[in-house]
Amino acid sequence: MRHVISKTQSLCPVCLKKIPALKWNKNNETYMEKSCPEHGRFKTLIWRGSIPMENWVRNKKRTTIKNPNTTVDKGCPYDCGLCEDHRQHTCTALIEVTQNCNLKCSFCFANAEGNWQKDLSLETIDSMYKSVMKTSGKCNIQLSGGEPTLRDDLPEIIKMGHEIGFPFIQVNTNGIRLGEDENYVKLLKEAGMDSVFLQFDGTNNQIFEKLRGKPLFEIKIKALENCQKYGIGVVLVPTLVSGINDQDIGNIINFGLKWIPTVKGVHFQPVSYFGRIPDFPENEKRITLGEVMDRIEEQTDSKFKVQDFNPPGCENALCSFHGNYIYQKNNELMTLKRNVSCCGTEKAEEGARKTKAYVSRKWAGHQKAEEIKAEKSDVVDVIDHGFDEILDRINRYSFSISAMVFQDAWNLDLERVKDCCIHVVNTRGQLIPFCMYNLTNKEGKSLYRLDQ
Amino acid sequence: MYQEKKDYQSWICDKCQKELELTKVKVHYLEGEFEVELLNCPTCHQVFINESLALGKMAEVEQGLEDK
Repeated sequence: MRHVISKTQSLCPVCLKKIPALKWNKNNETYMEKSCPEHGRFKTLIWRGSIPMENWVRNKKRTTIKNPNTTVDKGCPYDCGLCEDHRQHTCTALIEVTQNCNLKCSFCFANAEGNWQKDLSLETIDSMYKSVMKTSGKCNIQLSGGEPTLRDDLPEIIKMGHEIGFPFIQVNTNGIRLGEDENYVKLLKEAGMDSVFLQFDGTNNQIFEKLRGKPLFEIKIKALENCQKYGIGVVLVPTLVSGINDQDIGNIINFGLKWIPTVKGVHFQPVSYFGRIPDFPENEKRITLGEVMDRIEEQTDSKFKVQDFNPPGCENALCSFHGNYIYQKNNELMTLKRNVSCCGTEKAEEGARKTKAYVSRKWAGHQKAEEIKAEKSDVVDVIDHGFDEILDRINRYSFSISAMVFQDAWNLDLERVKDCCIHVVNTRGQLIPFCMYNLTNKEGKSLYRLDQ
Repeated sequence: MYQEKKDYQSWICDKCQKELELTKVKVHYLEGEFEVELLNCPTCHQVFINESLALGKMAEVEQGLEDK
């Protein structure tokens, strides 16, 4: 017997036509099952863990897109741009500044490699930034690729973004150049790079060799040292692959804790099957959000607990979890719990606003506040000093544990797509939900990526 | 509750008629707990937080402890 918990719409992994899908439970596992009249039946594991998927909810009242770039014609997900049916604002707009890369990873959603493709011109990037500002306002920006640090003019691209008015600019990188070229790190900092999203798959070189083809652990340490030197906040981003690094989750978190305050958190991304993939997905190898939470608790000896984690207020609840902590002076972690009720409906727009503010506040680097007074001459000074110390701890010693699970052609749920807040900007200035931009079918054909 | 004398340093508790003293106080917000020095009554231990602190640094701390 199977307990059907909901119905949704998905795509056929072969022809990418829209088809209905069922989600059903068996024991502590949830599957998506769908059938294409032409290409047959597909059954994909979408959740496994101690918290049942149907309990992982955060209801939101949809927002509307004020300046849609596309009209609704064929229906979701074929009109992305954003279209007027989209239900969430942009929290992070992602600009791929290059398709070149100095690695050839076994999994790569951008299918990037080599140094042969022409980079986007600064004029094109300028128009992409301006289009984001028009559609989504002052959201957070992530510069990605390819490997964005292959561009010598990345500092200029960061400056352009700030000049147009974007307050928070993060660079998504493998860290090789950040480790090798200290002066480049200095230039990025001076240009206003707020945060580094550092690919960091594990704490030993066997993991890097399997996933990235090279022993990169030492260069990651160098990258962290250079970021530490220039006060740049770093988020460690492991791509989790079953049998390769899913037993290293606890080690990665403990490594991150040792690098506070430079490291602001660990953001896990269970691998998705789009772009370049070594094999087709097998249900046994799927890593879902539920089990990432369980493994964090198991592998950290319950220092971090499943109950610490919350569903997101911005994107669809099934896309991510996060837990927030403050590393205290006595080396203990203070868990910050959610200050909203578990029930009822929140405004999606408010969730996007809070997430943008939260990310820019907690993931950016902070220099120790110079103005904390050593002299305490009167009562006002004493009281202010106490609160300045608390603020310094909150700003510099916050630590987050989070995970986001992307969608591929097998596990795609269009309800999640409509709630997406991470949007890739194409050269026409359109904003495409991240998973739709990267989605490829069984033969590697893209829905949006090559449509430029 | 409080009577203002000359300045911020000179407040007395209306109930106990004692001058407020600066002592370490535990402040809680959500799951966060910190120790800071604040003015409070030596007898009834009522804590005094003036408006600028409540709307300034204290509000900033609250925001920093709130989740997204």
